[in-house]
Amino acid sequence: MTESPTAPPPGPAHARPAPTPLAATLALPASPLEPWPDSVTWRPVSRKLIVVELIRFGFGLAVLLVVVAIANGFGWPYPGATFAAVGLYGLLRGIAIVRAVFAWGYAERERDLLVRHGLLIRRLSIVPYARMQFVDVTAGPLERAFGLATVQLHTAAAASDARVPGLPPAEAARLRDRLAALGEDLGEGL
Amino acid sequence: MNPAGPTPAGQPPTGPVAAGPVAAGPVAAGPAAAQPPRQRLHPLSPLVHSAKYLAVVVAAISIQGAAQLGWRGFLGMLVVAGCAVVAYAVVTWLVTGYHVVGRELRIYDGVLVRRSRAIPLERLQAVELVRPLLARLTGLAELRLEVVGGARTEAPLAYLTLADAATLRRRLLALAVRAGAPAAATPAGGTAATGPAGGTAAGGTAAATPTGIAATGPARAGQPAPPATSQAEPAGDGQPEQPLHAVTNRDVVISQLLTPQVMFLPLAVALVVAQAWFETGAWSFVAGASMAVAVIGVVRQPVRRIMSDWNFRIALQAPPPGRRHPGLRVRHGLTETRSQTVPLHRVQAVGVTWPLLWRRRRWLHCRLDVAGFTQGERGSASSDQLLPVGDLAIAGRLTGVALPGVDLAGLRLAAPPRRARWLAPLRQPVLGVALTDRVFATRDGRITRQLVVVPHLRLQSVRVVQGPLQRGLGLASVFADTAGALTAVAHHRELAEARWLAAELTGRAGAARAADRPDREPPGPLPDRPPVSRGAPGPGEPEPAPGEREIAPPTSVRPAPPPGT
Repeated sequence: MTESPTAPPPGPAHARPAPTPLAATLALPASPLEPWPDSVTWRPVSRKLIVVELIRFGFGLAVLLVVVAIANGFGWPYPGATFAAVGLYGLLRGIAIVRAVFAWGYAERERDLLVRHGLLIRRLSIVPYARMQFVDVTAGPLERAFGLATVQLHTAAAASDARVPGLPPAEAARLRDRLAALGEDLGEGL
Repeated sequence: MNPAGPTPAGQPPTGPVAAGPVAAGPVAAGPAAAQPPRQRLHPLSPLVHSAKYLAVVVAAISIQGAAQLGWRGFLGMLVVAGCAVVAYAVVTWLVTGYHVVGRELRIYDGVLVRRSRAIPLERLQAVELVRPLLARLTGLAELRLEVVGGARTEAPLAYLTLADAATLRRRLLALAVRAGAPAAATPAGGTAATGPAGGTAAGGTAAATPTGIAATGPARAGQPAPPATSQAEPAGDGQPEQPLHAVTNRDVVISQLLTPQVMFLPLAVALVVAQAWFETGAWSFVAGASMAVAVIGVVRQPVRRIMSDWNFRIALQAPPPGRRHPGLRVRHGLTETRSQTVPLHRVQAVGVTWPLLWRRRRWLHCRLDVAGFTQGERGSASSDQLLPVGDLAIAGRLTGVALPGVDLAGLRLAAPPRRARWLAPLRQPVLGVALTDRVFATRDGRITRQLVVVPHLRLQSVRVVQGPLQRGLGLASVFADTAGALTAVAHHRELAEARWLAAELTGRAGAARAADRPDREPPGPLPDRPPVSRGAPGPGEPEPAPGEREIAPPTSVRPAPPPGT
């Protein structure tokens, strides 16, 4: 068991990478959400997604409120506090939803698709077009009402996470066609 | 509920022009030969789909209702339910459809959540014609389009008339071949167990076999008709082999004795016996029997492993005629001798594990992560033993064969920064990442140490994930996804380094794919290439990688001792 524990890495030496040519082009992005600002132009998703997400959350909140109201009807002792708590939760969650929509973004690079999302846990997916197996465009009833669609790129890896919600149908179709065309050109998939 | 849907998919402003004449072709005789390019499925299909539920509904109504409602009410309920089902079926039928745009198949479905799926035809791994019982009764057939990736059939077209299905299948296969047919490079399934399972009706248009309910014509997408029959040969039997390694049975037994189950068994038995003895002073038959059952249950897994890994031999097999990739031939088993061939190009990753109890002996075991479509388990990932037990030298040799150009012992793993201890107090020194010309390797696990080696060529996607705590510390994790079950995860890297890793991984994976493409296996046999490439990496020395220089992230290059020594 003479392993790497014997060679712990130096802490301070990590502070800044020595700029190799490649690392220099990619060095230290402006915002943690948006790596490689020089080479990548991020596209936002439609703001209408905020409304969709808020309505979706509103349904859940309504159910919660109904439950609270029923509990009050049965003599729950702290109706005011409960309603306040639910209201506060709804407010915070609503703010989070709005911000989360702004956190979504995607970028088409020459050979891969980048998708970033998430506020608390920030995720960036890089999926090469060549790995595309198929592309789904889905639209639920609420999304359809607001003229939105979701594009999802599937690869052979179940963990791949390339989903872009909140696209206008035209953009969704364009993205789908482009992804499919690039996937045909570029690869074998497995 | 308009069938055109909001997904503006249907009308192909961008689609290649080839769609028109082709789509108007053979299928035009179908039930829904309409003007729009979108073809409908057979009108009966929703009914066939929901027949089961319909039966359940009818049964429920008749049991409950007939008693309470009287026959008049009962009939009324029946009519209402029937109308509802039919209405749903009609709507489903209206929104479901498919069409071929150029080299792409589009499938539309979903009543509430509309979905349109675009599948490049060259991604089709197989096109199966299946006829379940109900479909046969109604003269219909289901076309299953297998793509890699999902655990299930991702694109079923159910149902079409038999003639339509056969025609469409031929058309799709023809188009897939024209589209370049990389699918031909992935034949017959990764772990093709020997056996004629695949090849009964190759090339046939799936006439119903006398026994089976489903007659599947196993013609692979992208495989021209004549080679398709060659699938019937048990994958690569009779090809010359080169033995690589044989595990001694003694080692297998000892390694399985060194498992927690077996190690704690005497203690547990002693405890139970002592308890029984002191508490009752007697030894009852029931207690003994139940203890025996428990012991058998606990020991069953190691015993099964021993039985399965008995006489484990692995050999490198020359590629079958017309194929470029050699395979690893594995034979093992005591009561049931198994032999399987894993084509090397199906290996998605190699996992090396050092169980805690084996460490004193410096033992490890390796498995191959193999993915892809196989006849039995479609689309599912399976992993196969590469080495049930052995030391690092052997593992390095075998890994060098499974992933040519990889030197397991020479991997330099770089640990994450020291502040990662806040998040992984025990694991921080164990965590490690190595990036070479060919592979990305990560190590994890304090107790059971595991090294995952993912070749750049098989990388599917890269993810960078940063949780809230990691953000506070300026760390991020990098995931390298493969089509198999293993994912190489580089936990808690410096943020800049994580981005660098992600960029490098995508770049190198792209380069590896580009380098692999020119000599991609053509669909036909290779005339200019000797059918047996004996010069393939031998057992002793994995083929020397030309540029196996150590490339490490700019930040934390710390040469660490080889893994697990």
